[in-house]
Amino acid sequence: MTLAAHSHAAKPLRKRIADASEPYLYSAPALILIIGVMLVPLVLGISYAFRDIQLLNPFSGGFIGLDHFRALGQDQAFFRALRNTLWWTGASVFLQFIFGLILALLLDKPFAGRGLVQALVFLPWAVPSFLAGLNWAWLFNPVIGPLPHWLHALGLLDAPNNILSDPQLAMWGPIAANVWWGIPFFAITLLAALQAIPRDLYEAASIDGAGPVQRFLSITLPFLAPTIAITILLRTVWISNFADLIVVMTNGGPADRTQIVASYIFTQAFKRLDFGYASAIALVLLVLLLVYSLLIVLLRQTMLNKG
Amino acid sequence: MASIDIQSIRKSFGAFPVLHGVDLTIQDGEFIVLVGPSGCGKSTLLRMIAGLERISGGDLLIGGQRMNDVPPAQRGIAMVFQSYALYPHMTVRQNMEFALQIARMPKAEIDKAVENAARILQLTPYLDRLPKALSGGQRQRVAIGRAIVRDPKVFLFDEPLSNLDAALRVATRIEIAQLKEAMPDRTMIYVTHDQVEAMTLASRIVVLARKGIAQVGTPLELYERPVDEFVAQFIGSPAMNLLAGEIIATGAETVVRLDGGGTARSAVPTQTSDMGRKVNIGVRPEDLLAVSGDGLFSGEVQIVEALGEVTQLYVARPGGGAHIIAKLPGIHPDLRHKTVTFGADPAKVHLFADGRSLLYR
Ligand SMILES: Nc1ncnc2c1ncn2[C@@H]1O[C@H](COP(=O)(O)OP(=O)(O)O)[C@@H](O)[C@H]1O
Ligand SMILES: [Mg+2]
Repeated sequence: MTLAAHSHAAKPLRKRIADASEPYLYSAPALILIIGVMLVPLVLGISYAFRDIQLLNPFSGGFIGLDHFRALGQDQAFFRALRNTLWWTGASVFLQFIFGLILALLLDKPFAGRGLVQALVFLPWAVPSFLAGLNWAWLFNPVIGPLPHWLHALGLLDAPNNILSDPQLAMWGPIAANVWWGIPFFAITLLAALQAIPRDLYEAASIDGAGPVQRFLSITLPFLAPTIAITILLRTVWISNFADLIVVMTNGGPADRTQIVASYIFTQAFKRLDFGYASAIALVLLVLLLVYSLLIVLLRQTMLNKG
Repeated sequence: MASIDIQSIRKSFGAFPVLHGVDLTIQDGEFIVLVGPSGCGKSTLLRMIAGLERISGGDLLIGGQRMNDVPPAQRGIAMVFQSYALYPHMTVRQNMEFALQIARMPKAEIDKAVENAARILQLTPYLDRLPKALSGGQRQRVAIGRAIVRDPKVFLFDEPLSNLDAALRVATRIEIAQLKEAMPDRTMIYVTHDQVEAMTLASRIVVLARKGIAQVGTPLELYERPVDEFVAQFIGSPAMNLLAGEIIATGAETVVRLDGGGTARSAVPTQTSDMGRKVNIGVRPEDLLAVSGDGLFSGEVQIVEALGEVTQLYVARPGGGAHIIAKLPGIHPDLRHKTVTFGADPAKVHLFADGRSLLYR
């Protein structure tokens, strides 16, 4: 102690400053890179939300305070997009999860040719989203695609029409494409979690007399719960921002029936070229997603603490 | 009734045979210990009795009823796994209740059964804990408790103590022995590779060798009258010494001239037709005595292991071959590099011809 204090006093000031700043100097390159790459665009984007930025108007660019947000409060199209986003995200995530779980449970059982089937199942994941959107748009097109005819034959459609142009049904088109495209993600992660469950627990349960449903509820589900929570969180945030399929398949139409917030931002920015307003919408979406994530993380924490 | 009849049961995994026809009858209330080298099919046999593994051929009868195709829960058995296999998301109480709730037992009876088991196993203070908050020994007791509450006719244990440290293993072994004493009419089948567990717990030991049963008998029967060289060397530690030789006198007592020099007397009777037969004599390390004058053989002591209560000597015979191990009571610090003559009581000298004991024929 005394020795340390002594040597401390004896060092010249420059040396002491150099010593104190040493850790910061080491970490500076990484920090500067992270701030440059992540924070600068974020701050710039946020600043747009408070400025009047229209690409075709050379006199724009001034600070306008909360004007964009006031306009947003009156914007019926935005609120419709918000409702559509809920619908699009909820249905997509739910169906992707359910089918992904079923697929993972099937793939967890040993059967001949399982390796091949596993590889095939994960194929949609490798298809670029624009290609997937185009494919599904064609599948729903009664002129070249079989789906309208099949749906008609099953009695689900009155006539073999394109559901993408039916305001009541259009949203189901991108949702179907999204579910097809996103199942592998859930299947892969849930399968990995399933395979980590010790087999002798199932054996103990079968000796205890548990049937398949009880085994699923008492062993499989508790083991999967943390994975389910985190994958659903990730996918929800991701899908609510995911406008590719909608832009390709319906472009938000008909009559804005498939317009979600993300595609609405895209429309505002790249069709109307109003970057300021688009940034304001994006900021609102960001805040909503942050709140959602925070809630899920809190929920998970309390669940883990209880467990 | 919980007698178990195993009638020429076979098991193969795909084309790979593990058990070729096992026959075994287990009486009500027996404590059977299955021992055998690793990979010989002990767990497989136990799991077939439990119903966790399909029976490839033969019949399994529990209490006189054919059980080959009866699901595990309806066989009247309970199993304790080596890994404990506790449900990690359930408390100790919930783990023990699980089977009873599935069987739709009334709540009051469930509570009584669980509290009774918890009291026997000293788990009462831990009933509301999760398995991860328990020590290894406590987890194993919960696994045993989970078996007890179901009140099965047959308990199956697959190496239940091998994940515990030495002291805990002894304590839990004694608890299991007491448990059996408290439930004299329950049948227990216990797999282990621990000699001491086998010798102390078993009413009968079943030695499994490659693909079948080598010998069944009480612990002392196996120790004193092993049926072949495999059982002789498997039971007892260190393993029985085998020395090759030739019969030179027959009758109520047999005399064998050993290949490396020396002669051995054995109390195993032989007939005149056995004269000149090539045999192995078997002597356990603890049956060898240091003698002055004539003995079985003399050799140089090369390694001395002083264990305190006994001293193990590794002795090289003049003719070469594997070390002979002798276990002398007490401490012998001065024997290293000495040449010692060893003898044995003829009653303790076994005779094997072609691997089989000449006691049985
Ligand atoms: N599910 C299985 N598939 C293929 N082979 C198995 C399986 N289970 C066990 N075996 C084989 O059967 C033999 C006996 O195994 P086991 O009964 O576990 O031996 P142990 O006597 O050590 O308990 C081993 O050779 C093992 O490799
Ligand atoms: Mg085993």
